[in-house]
Amino acid sequence: MKTKRELLTILIAGLVIGIIAAGLVIAGNPENMGFCIACFIRDTAGALGVHRAEAVQYIRPEIIGLILGALILALVRKEYAPRGGSSPMTRFVLGFFVMIGCLMFLGCPFRMILRLAGGDWNAIFGLIGFILGILAGVFFLNRGYSLKRTYQHTRLEGAVMPAIQIVLLVLLVAAPSFIFFTEPGVGPGAKHAAIAISLAAGLIVGALAQRTRLCMVGGIRDAVLFREWKLLCGFVAIFAAALVVNAIVGNFHPGFAGQPVAHTDGLWNLLGMLLVGFGSVLLGGCPLRQLVLTGEGNTDSAVTVLGLFMGAAFAHNFSMASSGEGPTFNGKVGVAVGLAVVLVIAIVNTRKKEN
Amino acid sequence: MYYIATFFSHFGAIRFKRECQREGMSAQLMPVPRSLSSSCGTCVRFWGPKDYTVKPDPHGEMEQMVRETEEGYEVIFHGE
Repeated sequence: MKTKRELLTILIAGLVIGIIAAGLVIAGNPENMGFCIACFIRDTAGALGVHRAEAVQYIRPEIIGLILGALILALVRKEYAPRGGSSPMTRFVLGFFVMIGCLMFLGCPFRMILRLAGGDWNAIFGLIGFILGILAGVFFLNRGYSLKRTYQHTRLEGAVMPAIQIVLLVLLVAAPSFIFFTEPGVGPGAKHAAIAISLAAGLIVGALAQRTRLCMVGGIRDAVLFREWKLLCGFVAIFAAALVVNAIVGNFHPGFAGQPVAHTDGLWNLLGMLLVGFGSVLLGGCPLRQLVLTGEGNTDSAVTVLGLFMGAAFAHNFSMASSGEGPTFNGKVGVAVGLAVVLVIAIVNTRKKEN
Repeated sequence: MYYIATFFSHFGAIRFKRECQREGMSAQLMPVPRSLSSSCGTCVRFWGPKDYTVKPDPHGEMEQMVRETEEGYEVIFHGE
Protein backbone atom coordinates (compact mmCIF):
# COMPACT_ATOMS: atom_id res chain seq x y z
CA MET A 1 0.00 0.00 0.00
CA LYS A 2 2.80 2.35 1.01
CA THR A 3 4.68 1.40 -2.16
CA LYS A 4 1.62 2.13 -4.32
CA ARG A 5 1.21 5.53 -2.70
CA GLU A 6 4.90 6.30 -3.30
CA LEU A 7 4.54 5.34 -6.95
CA LEU A 8 1.44 7.49 -7.34
CA THR A 9 3.22 10.45 -5.72
CA ILE A 10 6.16 10.08 -8.08
CA LEU A 11 3.92 9.79 -11.14
CA ILE A 12 1.93 12.90 -10.22
CA ALA A 13 5.13 14.82 -9.43
CA GLY A 14 6.61 13.73 -12.77
CA LEU A 15 3.53 14.89 -14.66
CA VAL A 16 3.54 18.27 -12.89
CA ILE A 17 7.27 18.73 -13.54
CA GLY A 18 6.82 17.80 -17.22
CA ILE A 19 4.03 20.35 -17.62
CA ILE A 20 6.08 23.04 -15.85
CA ALA A 21 9.15 22.29 -18.00
CA ALA A 22 7.19 22.51 -21.26
CA GLY A 23 5.38 25.57 -19.91
CA LEU A 24 8.65 27.40 -19.26
CA VAL A 25 9.43 27.20 -22.99
CA ILE A 26 6.08 28.80 -23.75
CA ALA A 27 6.94 31.45 -21.14
CA GLY A 28 10.22 32.31 -22.88
CA ASN A 29 12.94 29.75 -22.11
CA PRO A 30 14.92 28.29 -25.07
CA GLU A 31 13.26 25.48 -27.02
CA ASN A 32 13.44 22.03 -25.40
CA MET A 33 15.12 23.77 -22.45
CA GLY A 34 12.38 24.43 -19.93
CA PHE A 35 14.88 23.01 -17.52
CA CYS A 36 18.53 22.10 -18.05
CA ILE A 37 20.64 21.97 -14.94
CA ALA A 38 23.91 21.97 -16.88
CA CYS A 39 22.93 24.78 -19.25
CA PHE A 40 21.51 26.91 -16.45
CA ILE A 41 24.58 26.53 -14.23
CA ARG A 42 26.68 27.38 -17.31
CA ASP A 43 24.55 30.49 -17.97
CA THR A 44 24.96 31.58 -14.34
CA ALA A 45 28.74 31.09 -14.57
CA GLY A 46 28.68 33.32 -17.66
CA ALA A 47 26.62 36.00 -15.94
CA LEU A 48 29.23 36.14 -13.17
CA GLY A 49 31.96 36.53 -15.79
CA VAL A 50 33.67 33.24 -15.02
CA HIS A 51 33.45 32.58 -18.76
CA ARG A 52 32.88 35.19 -21.47
CA ALA A 53 30.73 33.33 -24.02
CA GLU A 54 28.31 36.18 -24.79
CA ALA A 55 25.54 33.87 -26.00
CA VAL A 56 25.09 32.10 -22.67
CA GLN A 57 25.12 34.59 -19.79
CA TYR A 58 22.16 34.87 -17.43
CA ILE A 59 21.59 34.12 -13.74
CA ARG A 60 18.93 31.43 -14.05
CA PRO A 61 16.32 31.69 -11.30
CA GLU A 62 15.38 28.05 -11.86
CA ILE A 63 18.65 26.91 -10.23
CA ILE A 64 18.11 29.26 -7.29
CA GLY A 65 14.54 28.00 -6.94
CA LEU A 66 15.51 24.33 -7.10
CA ILE A 67 17.94 24.65 -4.20
CA LEU A 68 15.67 26.88 -2.12
CA GLY A 69 12.55 24.80 -2.88
CA ALA A 70 14.31 21.67 -1.68
CA LEU A 71 15.61 23.55 1.38
CA ILE A 72 12.16 24.85 2.36
CA LEU A 73 10.46 21.47 2.06
CA ALA A 74 13.33 19.75 3.88
CA LEU A 75 12.95 22.24 6.74
CA VAL A 76 9.18 21.77 6.84
CA ARG A 77 9.50 17.97 6.86
CA LYS A 78 12.38 18.06 9.36
CA GLU A 79 14.65 16.42 6.79
CA TYR A 80 17.23 19.22 6.62
CA ALA A 81 20.35 17.26 7.55
CA PRO A 82 23.67 19.05 7.01
CA ARG A 83 26.37 16.50 6.30
CA GLY A 84 29.47 16.09 4.19
CA GLY A 85 33.09 15.04 4.16
CA SER A 86 32.75 12.16 1.72
CA SER A 87 35.75 12.78 -0.56
CA PRO A 88 34.72 16.35 -1.49
CA MET A 89 37.62 17.02 -3.86
CA THR A 90 36.98 13.81 -5.77
CA ARG A 91 33.35 14.89 -6.07
CA PHE A 92 34.49 18.30 -7.37
CA VAL A 93 36.49 16.60 -10.13
CA LEU A 94 33.60 14.26 -10.98
CA GLY A 95 31.23 17.24 -11.13
CA PHE A 96 33.69 19.06 -13.39
CA PHE A 97 33.81 16.24 -15.93
CA VAL A 98 30.07 15.53 -15.75
CA MET A 99 29.65 19.11 -16.96
CA ILE A 100 32.17 18.54 -19.78
CA GLY A 101 30.04 15.55 -20.85
CA CYS A 102 26.82 17.57 -20.59
CA LEU A 103 28.22 20.38 -22.74
CA MET A 104 29.40 17.87 -25.35
CA PHE A 105 25.79 16.61 -25.60
CA LEU A 106 24.31 20.06 -24.89
CA GLY A 107 22.15 19.15 -21.94
CA CYS A 108 21.90 17.34 -18.65
CA PRO A 109 19.86 14.12 -18.23
CA PHE A 110 16.78 16.25 -17.47
CA ARG A 111 17.12 18.15 -20.75
CA MET A 112 17.82 14.87 -22.54
CA ILE A 113 14.28 13.81 -21.60
CA LEU A 114 12.88 17.20 -22.63
CA ARG A 115 14.74 17.03 -25.95
CA LEU A 116 13.16 13.62 -26.60
CA ALA A 117 9.77 15.04 -25.68
CA GLY A 118 10.34 17.79 -28.25
CA GLY A 119 11.10 15.23 -30.97
CA ASP A 120 14.89 15.70 -30.97
CA TRP A 121 15.99 12.19 -31.88
CA ASN A 122 19.67 13.07 -31.40
CA ALA A 123 18.91 12.60 -27.73
CA ILE A 124 18.34 8.88 -28.39
CA PHE A 125 22.12 8.53 -28.82
CA GLY A 126 22.54 10.48 -25.61
CA LEU A 127 20.14 8.15 -23.80
CA ILE A 128 22.02 5.08 -25.03
CA GLY A 129 25.32 6.54 -23.84
CA PHE A 130 23.75 7.58 -20.54
CA ILE A 131 22.51 4.04 -19.87
CA LEU A 132 25.91 2.57 -20.80
CA GLY A 133 27.60 5.03 -18.42
CA ILE A 134 25.25 4.04 -15.60
CA LEU A 135 25.96 0.36 -16.25
CA ALA A 136 29.69 1.12 -16.01
CA GLY A 137 29.10 2.85 -12.67
CA VAL A 138 26.94 0.00 -11.36
CA PHE A 139 29.74 -2.42 -12.29
CA PHE A 140 32.03 -0.62 -9.84
CA LEU A 141 29.30 -0.15 -7.19
CA ASN A 142 28.83 -3.90 -7.09
CA ARG A 143 32.55 -4.40 -6.62
CA GLY A 144 32.78 -2.15 -3.58
CA TYR A 145 33.14 1.39 -5.00
CA SER A 146 32.72 3.98 -2.27
CA LEU A 147 33.73 7.62 -1.66
CA LYS A 148 33.60 6.81 2.06
CA ARG A 149 31.06 7.96 4.59
CA THR A 150 29.63 11.40 5.29
CA TYR A 151 29.70 13.19 8.65
CA GLN A 152 27.25 15.47 10.38
CA HIS A 153 27.87 19.21 9.92
CA THR A 154 26.51 22.28 11.65
CA ARG A 155 23.23 23.73 10.38
CA LEU A 156 25.12 26.86 9.35
CA GLU A 157 27.56 24.91 7.17
CA GLY A 158 24.70 23.32 5.26
CA ALA A 159 23.08 26.73 4.76
CA VAL A 160 26.03 28.40 3.01
CA MET A 161 25.16 27.30 -0.54
CA PRO A 162 21.45 28.17 -0.16
CA ALA A 163 22.56 31.59 1.18
CA ILE A 164 24.67 32.09 -1.94
CA GLN A 165 21.50 31.50 -3.98
CA ILE A 166 19.87 34.44 -2.20
CA VAL A 167 22.86 36.60 -3.16
CA LEU A 168 22.53 35.45 -6.77
CA LEU A 169 18.83 36.32 -6.73
CA VAL A 170 19.62 39.82 -5.45
CA LEU A 171 22.24 40.24 -8.20
CA LEU A 172 19.73 39.08 -10.81
CA VAL A 173 17.03 41.50 -9.70
CA ALA A 174 19.40 44.43 -9.09
CA ALA A 175 21.30 43.71 -12.33
CA PRO A 176 24.42 45.75 -11.52
CA SER A 177 26.70 46.59 -14.45
CA PHE A 178 29.32 43.99 -13.51
CA ILE A 179 26.86 41.15 -14.13
CA PHE A 180 26.80 39.94 -17.76
CA PHE A 181 23.48 39.36 -19.52
CA THR A 182 23.23 38.05 -23.07
CA GLU A 183 21.87 40.72 -25.39
CA PRO A 184 18.56 39.89 -27.14
CA GLY A 185 19.09 37.82 -30.28
CA VAL A 186 22.70 36.90 -29.43
CA GLY A 187 21.98 33.43 -28.05
CA PRO A 188 19.97 31.16 -25.76
CA GLY A 189 21.07 33.17 -22.71
CA ALA A 190 18.71 35.93 -23.85
CA LYS A 191 15.73 33.60 -23.91
CA HIS A 192 14.13 33.30 -20.53
CA ALA A 193 10.81 33.44 -18.79
CA ALA A 194 10.05 36.29 -16.38
CA ILE A 195 12.08 36.06 -13.17
CA ALA A 196 9.04 35.39 -10.96
CA ILE A 197 7.81 32.58 -13.22
CA SER A 198 11.25 30.94 -13.44
CA LEU A 199 11.76 31.23 -9.69
CA ALA A 200 8.34 29.80 -8.89
CA ALA A 201 8.94 26.93 -11.32
CA GLY A 202 12.27 26.17 -9.65
CA LEU A 203 10.77 26.30 -6.17
CA ILE A 204 7.94 23.92 -7.08
CA VAL A 205 10.17 21.46 -8.94
CA GLY A 206 12.79 21.60 -6.17
CA ALA A 207 10.17 20.77 -3.57
CA LEU A 208 8.67 17.98 -5.68
CA ALA A 209 12.10 16.51 -6.37
CA GLN A 210 12.93 16.63 -2.66
CA ARG A 211 9.65 14.93 -1.79
CA THR A 212 10.04 12.17 -4.38
CA ARG A 213 13.87 11.90 -4.59
CA LEU A 214 13.56 12.16 -8.39
CA CYS A 215 16.87 11.34 -10.01
CA MET A 216 17.44 10.24 -13.58
CA VAL A 217 20.57 8.32 -12.66
CA GLY A 218 18.95 6.82 -9.57
CA GLY A 219 15.98 5.66 -11.66
CA ILE A 220 18.06 3.61 -14.07
CA ARG A 221 20.52 2.53 -11.33
CA ASP A 222 17.70 1.22 -9.11
CA ALA A 223 16.09 -0.56 -12.04
CA VAL A 224 19.39 -2.33 -12.82
CA LEU A 225 20.47 -3.00 -9.22
CA PHE A 226 17.16 -3.82 -7.54
CA ARG A 227 14.55 -4.17 -10.34
CA GLU A 228 12.92 -1.18 -8.64
CA TRP A 229 11.14 1.01 -11.21
CA LYS A 230 9.54 3.76 -9.12
CA LEU A 231 12.10 6.52 -9.74
CA LEU A 232 12.27 5.71 -13.42
CA CYS A 233 8.48 6.01 -13.65
CA GLY A 234 8.84 9.63 -12.52
CA PHE A 235 10.96 10.45 -15.53
CA VAL A 236 8.64 8.56 -17.88
CA ALA A 237 5.87 10.78 -16.47
CA ILE A 238 7.98 13.92 -17.12
CA PHE A 239 8.54 12.76 -20.71
CA ALA A 240 4.86 11.97 -21.27
CA ALA A 241 3.60 15.26 -19.85
CA ALA A 242 6.15 17.37 -21.75
CA LEU A 243 5.40 15.43 -24.95
CA VAL A 244 1.66 16.08 -24.68
CA VAL A 245 2.12 19.80 -23.92
CA ASN A 246 4.63 20.15 -26.77
CA ALA A 247 2.24 18.41 -29.17
CA ILE A 248 -0.66 20.66 -28.13
CA VAL A 249 1.23 23.95 -28.48
CA GLY A 250 3.13 22.95 -31.63
CA ASN A 251 6.56 22.51 -30.04
CA PHE A 252 6.96 18.88 -31.14
CA HIS A 253 9.23 18.71 -34.19
CA PRO A 254 10.47 15.15 -34.74
CA GLY A 255 13.78 14.66 -36.54
CA PHE A 256 17.55 14.94 -36.29
CA ALA A 257 18.55 18.07 -38.20
CA GLY A 258 17.78 21.62 -37.16
CA GLN A 259 16.89 20.85 -33.56
CA PRO A 260 17.22 23.74 -31.12
CA VAL A 261 20.52 23.97 -29.20
CA ALA A 262 21.60 20.52 -30.43
CA HIS A 263 23.94 18.90 -32.95
CA THR A 264 23.68 15.74 -34.99
CA ASP A 265 26.98 13.98 -34.17
CA GLY A 266 25.58 10.73 -32.76
CA LEU A 267 28.90 9.27 -31.59
CA TRP A 268 29.82 12.30 -29.49
CA ASN A 269 26.28 12.72 -28.20
CA LEU A 270 26.61 9.14 -26.99
CA LEU A 271 30.10 9.53 -25.52
CA GLY A 272 29.21 12.82 -23.81
CA MET A 273 26.27 11.26 -22.00
CA LEU A 274 28.27 8.11 -21.27
CA LEU A 275 30.62 10.35 -19.30
CA VAL A 276 27.63 11.99 -17.58
CA GLY A 277 26.05 8.64 -16.63
CA PHE A 278 29.30 7.10 -15.40
CA GLY A 279 30.31 10.17 -13.38
CA SER A 280 26.82 10.67 -11.93
CA VAL A 281 26.58 7.10 -10.61
CA LEU A 282 29.93 7.59 -8.88
CA LEU A 283 28.52 10.82 -7.40
CA GLY A 284 25.30 9.11 -6.31
CA GLY A 285 22.94 11.24 -8.38
CA CYS A 286 22.35 13.34 -11.50
CA PRO A 287 22.91 17.14 -11.55
CA LEU A 288 19.27 17.76 -10.56
CA ARG A 289 19.65 15.50 -7.54
CA GLN A 290 22.88 17.28 -6.57
CA LEU A 291 20.96 20.58 -6.39
CA VAL A 292 18.20 19.02 -4.28
CA LEU A 293 20.69 17.42 -1.90
CA THR A 294 22.44 20.79 -1.64
CA GLY A 295 19.13 22.21 -0.47
CA GLU A 296 18.91 19.46 2.14
CA GLY A 297 22.25 20.65 3.54
CA ASN A 298 24.57 18.15 1.86
CA THR A 299 27.88 19.99 1.46
CA ASP A 300 29.35 17.20 -0.72
CA SER A 301 26.63 17.94 -3.25
CA ALA A 302 27.33 21.67 -2.90
CA VAL A 303 30.98 20.98 -3.77
CA THR A 304 29.78 18.89 -6.72
CA VAL A 305 27.69 21.86 -7.92
CA LEU A 306 30.85 24.00 -7.70
CA GLY A 307 32.58 21.35 -9.82
CA LEU A 308 29.78 21.60 -12.39
CA PHE A 309 30.12 25.40 -12.30
CA MET A 310 33.86 25.30 -12.85
CA GLY A 311 33.48 22.64 -15.57
CA ALA A 312 31.12 24.98 -17.42
CA ALA A 313 33.61 27.84 -17.17
CA PHE A 314 36.45 25.68 -18.51
CA ALA A 315 34.24 24.26 -21.27
CA HIS A 316 33.60 27.73 -22.66
CA ASN A 317 36.98 29.29 -21.90
CA PHE A 318 38.77 26.43 -23.71
CA SER A 319 36.27 25.86 -26.55
CA MET A 320 35.16 22.46 -25.28
CA ALA A 321 31.42 23.15 -25.39
CA SER A 322 29.57 21.99 -28.49
CA SER A 323 27.28 24.22 -30.52
CA GLY A 324 24.63 23.68 -33.15
CA GLU A 325 27.54 23.24 -35.58
CA GLY A 326 28.72 20.15 -33.69
CA PRO A 327 31.38 19.16 -31.19
CA THR A 328 34.80 20.82 -31.14
CA PHE A 329 38.19 19.08 -31.19
CA ASN A 330 38.89 20.43 -27.69
CA GLY A 331 35.55 19.07 -26.53
CA LYS A 332 36.39 15.59 -27.84
CA VAL A 333 39.72 15.72 -26.00
CA GLY A 334 37.92 16.90 -22.87
CA VAL A 335 35.44 14.01 -22.98
CA ALA A 336 38.23 11.47 -23.64
CA VAL A 337 40.25 12.84 -20.69
CA GLY A 338 37.09 12.89 -18.60
CA LEU A 339 36.32 9.24 -19.30
CA ALA A 340 39.89 8.30 -18.37
CA VAL A 341 39.80 10.34 -15.14
CA VAL A 342 36.39 8.97 -14.10
CA LEU A 343 37.58 5.43 -14.79
CA VAL A 344 40.68 5.96 -12.63
CA ILE A 345 38.51 7.42 -9.82
CA ALA A 346 36.24 4.36 -10.05
CA ILE A 347 39.17 1.94 -9.90
CA VAL A 348 41.10 3.52 -7.06
CA ASN A 349 37.96 3.88 -4.91
CA THR A 350 36.88 0.28 -5.40
CA ARG A 351 37.87 -2.36 -2.93
CA LYS A 352 37.17 -6.02 -3.36
CA LYS A 353 34.29 -7.49 -1.38
CA GLU A 354 35.56 -9.07 1.76
CA ASN A 355 34.78 -12.70 2.30
CA MET B 1 10.57 -9.64 12.33
CA TYR B 2 11.85 -7.50 9.51
CA TYR B 3 14.64 -5.01 10.11
CA ILE B 4 16.08 -2.33 7.82
CA ALA B 5 19.64 -1.06 8.12
CA THR B 6 20.81 2.05 6.26
CA PHE B 7 24.44 2.93 5.55
CA PHE B 8 26.68 5.83 4.70
CA SER B 9 27.82 4.02 1.55
CA HIS B 10 26.60 1.39 -0.90
CA PHE B 11 29.61 -0.74 0.00
CA GLY B 12 28.60 -0.74 3.68
CA ALA B 13 25.25 -2.21 2.67
CA ILE B 14 26.85 -4.90 0.51
CA ARG B 15 29.15 -5.93 3.35
CA PHE B 16 26.34 -6.03 5.94
CA LYS B 17 24.15 -8.14 3.66
CA ARG B 18 26.94 -10.69 3.36
CA GLU B 19 27.38 -10.71 7.14
CA CYS B 20 23.64 -11.33 7.63
CA GLN B 21 23.68 -14.20 5.17
CA ARG B 22 26.75 -15.66 6.85
CA GLU B 23 24.75 -15.74 10.09
CA GLY B 24 21.90 -17.54 8.33
CA MET B 25 19.54 -14.56 8.11
CA SER B 26 17.64 -13.88 4.90
CA ALA B 27 18.69 -10.42 3.64
CA GLN B 28 18.23 -8.33 0.53
CA LEU B 29 19.60 -5.05 -0.83
CA MET B 30 17.04 -2.42 -1.77
CA PRO B 31 16.70 1.36 -2.13
CA VAL B 32 16.10 3.14 1.19
CA PRO B 33 12.29 3.52 1.59
CA ARG B 34 11.18 7.15 1.19
CA SER B 35 9.12 6.88 4.36
CA LEU B 36 12.33 6.11 6.24
CA SER B 37 14.70 8.73 4.83
CA SER B 38 15.07 11.41 2.17
CA SER B 39 18.47 9.98 1.21
CA CYS B 40 18.58 7.76 -1.85
CA GLY B 41 21.13 5.17 -0.85
CA THR B 42 21.03 1.43 -0.50
CA CYS B 43 19.68 -0.36 2.55
CA VAL B 44 19.52 -3.95 3.75
CA ARG B 45 16.17 -5.48 4.72
CA PHE B 46 16.58 -8.67 6.68
CA TRP B 47 14.61 -11.15 8.77
CA GLY B 48 15.82 -11.51 12.33
CA PRO B 49 14.56 -12.74 15.71
CA LYS B 50 12.28 -10.51 17.77
CA ASP B 51 15.02 -9.91 20.32
CA TYR B 52 17.67 -9.10 17.69
CA THR B 53 20.31 -6.77 19.09
CA VAL B 54 22.62 -4.64 17.00
CA LYS B 55 26.27 -5.59 17.25
CA PRO B 56 28.85 -2.79 17.29
CA ASP B 57 29.69 -1.93 13.67
CA PRO B 58 33.50 -2.26 13.42
CA HIS B 59 33.48 -0.37 10.12
CA GLY B 60 31.39 2.57 11.39
CA GLU B 61 29.35 2.56 8.19
CA MET B 62 25.89 1.85 9.58
CA GLU B 63 23.73 4.98 9.71
CA GLN B 64 20.69 3.52 11.45
CA MET B 65 18.68 0.35 11.98
CA VAL B 66 14.93 0.17 12.41
CA ARG B 67 12.48 -2.58 13.25
CA GLU B 68 9.37 -2.74 11.08
CA THR B 69 6.20 -2.55 13.14
CA GLU B 70 2.47 -2.21 12.41
CA GLU B 71 2.72 1.53 13.11
CA GLY B 72 5.84 2.17 11.06
CA TYR B 73 9.50 2.04 12.02
CA GLU B 74 11.03 1.73 15.48
CA VAL B 75 14.60 3.00 15.62
CA ILE B 76 16.88 0.54 17.45
CA PHE B 77 20.22 2.05 16.43
CA HIS B 78 21.42 5.43 15.19
CA GLY B 79 25.04 5.97 14.18
CA GLU B 80 25.23 9.68 14.97
